[in-house]
Amino acid sequence: MKNQKSKIKNQNCGIFIFLLTAYCLLLTAGEAHAMHISEGILPLNWAALWFAVAIPFVALGLRKLKILSAQDLSIKPLVGLMAAIVFVVSLMPIPVPTAGTCSHPGGTAIPAILISPTISILVTGVALLIQALFFAHGGLSTWGADVVSMGVVGSFAGYGVFRLLRKFNAGLAVSAFFAGIISDWAIYLTTSVELAAGIRGDSPFWPLFSKIAIAFVPTQLPLGIVEGAMTAGMVNLLFKRRADLLVKLGVIKPEHAGGAI
Amino acid sequence: MAPCECLSEHFSKKHFLSGIDARVKLLVVLALLLMVLSYQGIFFPLLVAGGALMLCAKMRISVKVLLMRMAQPLLLSVIVLVLKCFFTGEDTMFFISLPTSHFSLLTLTGHRDGLMEGVRITSKILGGVSLVIALGFATPFIEFVAALSWLRVPRPFIEIMMFAYRYLFVFLEDAETIYSAQKNRLGYSGIRKGLNSFGVLTGSLVLRGFEQSQKTADAMIQRGYTGDMPMLKNQPLKAAELAIAFIVVITGGAVWMI
Repeated sequence: MKNQKSKIKNQNCGIFIFLLTAYCLLLTAGEAHAMHISEGILPLNWAALWFAVAIPFVALGLRKLKILSAQDLSIKPLVGLMAAIVFVVSLMPIPVPTAGTCSHPGGTAIPAILISPTISILVTGVALLIQALFFAHGGLSTWGADVVSMGVVGSFAGYGVFRLLRKFNAGLAVSAFFAGIISDWAIYLTTSVELAAGIRGDSPFWPLFSKIAIAFVPTQLPLGIVEGAMTAGMVNLLFKRRADLLVKLGVIKPEHAGGAI
Repeated sequence: MAPCECLSEHFSKKHFLSGIDARVKLLVVLALLLMVLSYQGIFFPLLVAGGALMLCAKMRISVKVLLMRMAQPLLLSVIVLVLKCFFTGEDTMFFISLPTSHFSLLTLTGHRDGLMEGVRITSKILGGVSLVIALGFATPFIEFVAALSWLRVPRPFIEIMMFAYRYLFVFLEDAETIYSAQKNRLGYSGIRKGLNSFGVLTGSLVLRGFEQSQKTADAMIQRGYTGDMPMLKNQPLKAAELAIAFIVVITGGAVWMI
């Protein structure tokens, strides 16, 4: 009898916690942000490891910037303005009907396609540092992890897909669309790996990883499609209005500048 | 509230912390952040969170702005708490049976050790986020950039950061203007239309970025730009500020050790 009472009491307590959690989720999920890992989530050793992974890629970006800016003085302002655009794009509220919330795209496929993936890593690193300090998105200790997921993986995935599809003669808009989708989903999967590895403690990695990945499915799957549409729309507009820029940046060949996409 | 109104730079920097050297503030925050991340319990991170939020209140930052800033970290903490409680740990605390169909029940098992671990991570999130928020409100961007330069962060990285920050507000306003114009013309009235409008918005920003970068570069070259931007010169560190920082870090360290 006593056991039964205690079980009922535990169940009520459980239901209360579940409802409270659901309420908190609804309350705070009104503006769910792109997959930045917040300050404090990662233990010190994991935060240090992701920093160690991110730094060489940022250094590569800086090296590439040095080479490009020696040839053209307008490169640094251009890269800086790209960082501002990535910052703004990753703050745009996108309604996600499946989750009933607003979410935000990553936006790193855009500089990766237009300038280069290594410069895109640098752009992401700058945007993430400003967001962490002046907007509380991401964090100082999680900067490395966020650069790896959004900058390194997001940029290379988007750029790789774009180049691969263009090699198979896919249209400019179609290639950009899939680059945006794959870039977003790659960011989401990498962030899930980073989160699961960081918070698992003594628990096994894969079950927790799959649960985190599933938890973000309602927002990230549709968001990937939005990011794809956004990247395709951006390339489309540039092609229609400033095809010369796409030629200058090496996105298309000069002979394609006047044709259909 | 518009996003640009929520940025730290939108708030007054005339308060008791504005006179302190940005390098000192940055070093204290980094030291406390290391302590928060390496602490094994919940007391120290919560104490740091309380202290940092009190500093924000002293700087006259409204609760609404603080809540907006903390919305994303809070959402992630709730997700971490749920994941840790229900999917990690061994010490069973309670069950929740959720009907998934007429015949089957999904039983979620809450674990005491998982919940405790989740609470520990949540306290670190609160501590870390509050510290960085307080640093953001206490330090003007230009001083922060000078502090980064003093910490030997590569100069091109800082220059890109300065360009980005300079045009951030311009693009935020542009994006808001284009978005509301599209919305007023039913640009987001259907999924297809919405996706198209969003692509046009992003494309317009990128186009504006290219054009503006060329104009900026031309204007800078006319004023003698040769590839390097001037930085704010760092003054020598004041002994009194260093002493206060030392006391704060040592006190924090002592509490951390207890």
